[in-house]
Amino acid sequence: MAVKKEKVAGGSDLWIRPEFAVIPSCPGCQEPVVGQLILEVVEEMGLDGEAIVVPGVGCTTFLPVIWNMDAVLTAHGRPCDVATAVKRVTKAPLVFTVQGDGDCFAIGAGPTVSAALRGENITVITMSNTNYGTTGGQMSPTTVTGQRTTTTPEGRGEMQGHPAHVPELLGGIKGVAYTARGAVNTPANLQKAKRYIKEAFQKQLDGAGFSLVEIIVACPPNWHYTPIDCLKFIDETLLAEFPLGEFKNVDRVEQPIPVPAQ
Amino acid sequence: MPRGEIVIFDQHCKGCGYCAKFCARDCITHPSGRYSPQGYILPDFSAPDKCNACGICAWMCPDHAIDVYKLVEAEVAA
Repeated sequence: MAVKKEKVAGGSDLWIRPEFAVIPSCPGCQEPVVGQLILEVVEEMGLDGEAIVVPGVGCTTFLPVIWNMDAVLTAHGRPCDVATAVKRVTKAPLVFTVQGDGDCFAIGAGPTVSAALRGENITVITMSNTNYGTTGGQMSPTTVTGQRTTTTPEGRGEMQGHPAHVPELLGGIKGVAYTARGAVNTPANLQKAKRYIKEAFQKQLDGAGFSLVEIIVACPPNWHYTPIDCLKFIDETLLAEFPLGEFKNVDRVEQPIPVPAQ
Repeated sequence: MPRGEIVIFDQHCKGCGYCAKFCARDCITHPSGRYSPQGYILPDFSAPDKCNACGICAWMCPDHAIDVYKLVEAEVAA
């Protein structure tokens, strides 16, 4: 009796992996997991070859440059501005940014909020690891209270303020169609995060408006935990501070931007 | 009879151990005593008989170092 093998899971074909280049991330970093989810969603929606990605600067820069997908590299914090231009000029069906939390919420807070206020028809995928991983683990807006980083050696306290809840914050803006927060610390949360990404992309295809998905990922080298302990830290500390779920989901923005008369 | 099979690419693995943690049927052993050329601790597919090709190890693997195959019985061509 012959036995046939069917591949049921593994790397997407959109990764450039000519058996191959090792993915340039730290051991235990979960950002490539999110990259895999994005590529799976792009393949399932049949947008292979039509999507344009705008990566930010940081750890997330290294992901899209090894994707088999059109990309525009930008300055630090400006992917939303560049994605706006790309979307308006090329009329590509799917334009999305891949950013870190420092890129999107700290130095890129102005572009991100401005794009949301304009109701730009783009999608922002943010990978939040609660610190600046590339430069050595400094405090970022999403660092939780009491977390030790390079610049808060005693733990984030009252001098540094509260962590930023950006999906909830942008959910109050009229031009925003969809915001959600997911995590990839368990297989169940991973499937939910994939559903959030798919929903956000669908909002853009429907022309509903700005959509943002924040996904919490582990950062073992800068949290100074083993990868398995990082998952426990996410489960016990980060998910207590940052609840998962959808915060805004509308089919059409409340006040569409008026088109000037010709 | 085994229903699934995984292939671990040793040159891509960074030894985080997520695959062994999330394998519901304890098919993967980590650490296994083997090391990659870079010095990472490699996992081992130690219990192939129990694998049912659920694919969760490949979902959770950050380095896409695992491919999962489902074994199906095929008709032998006459």
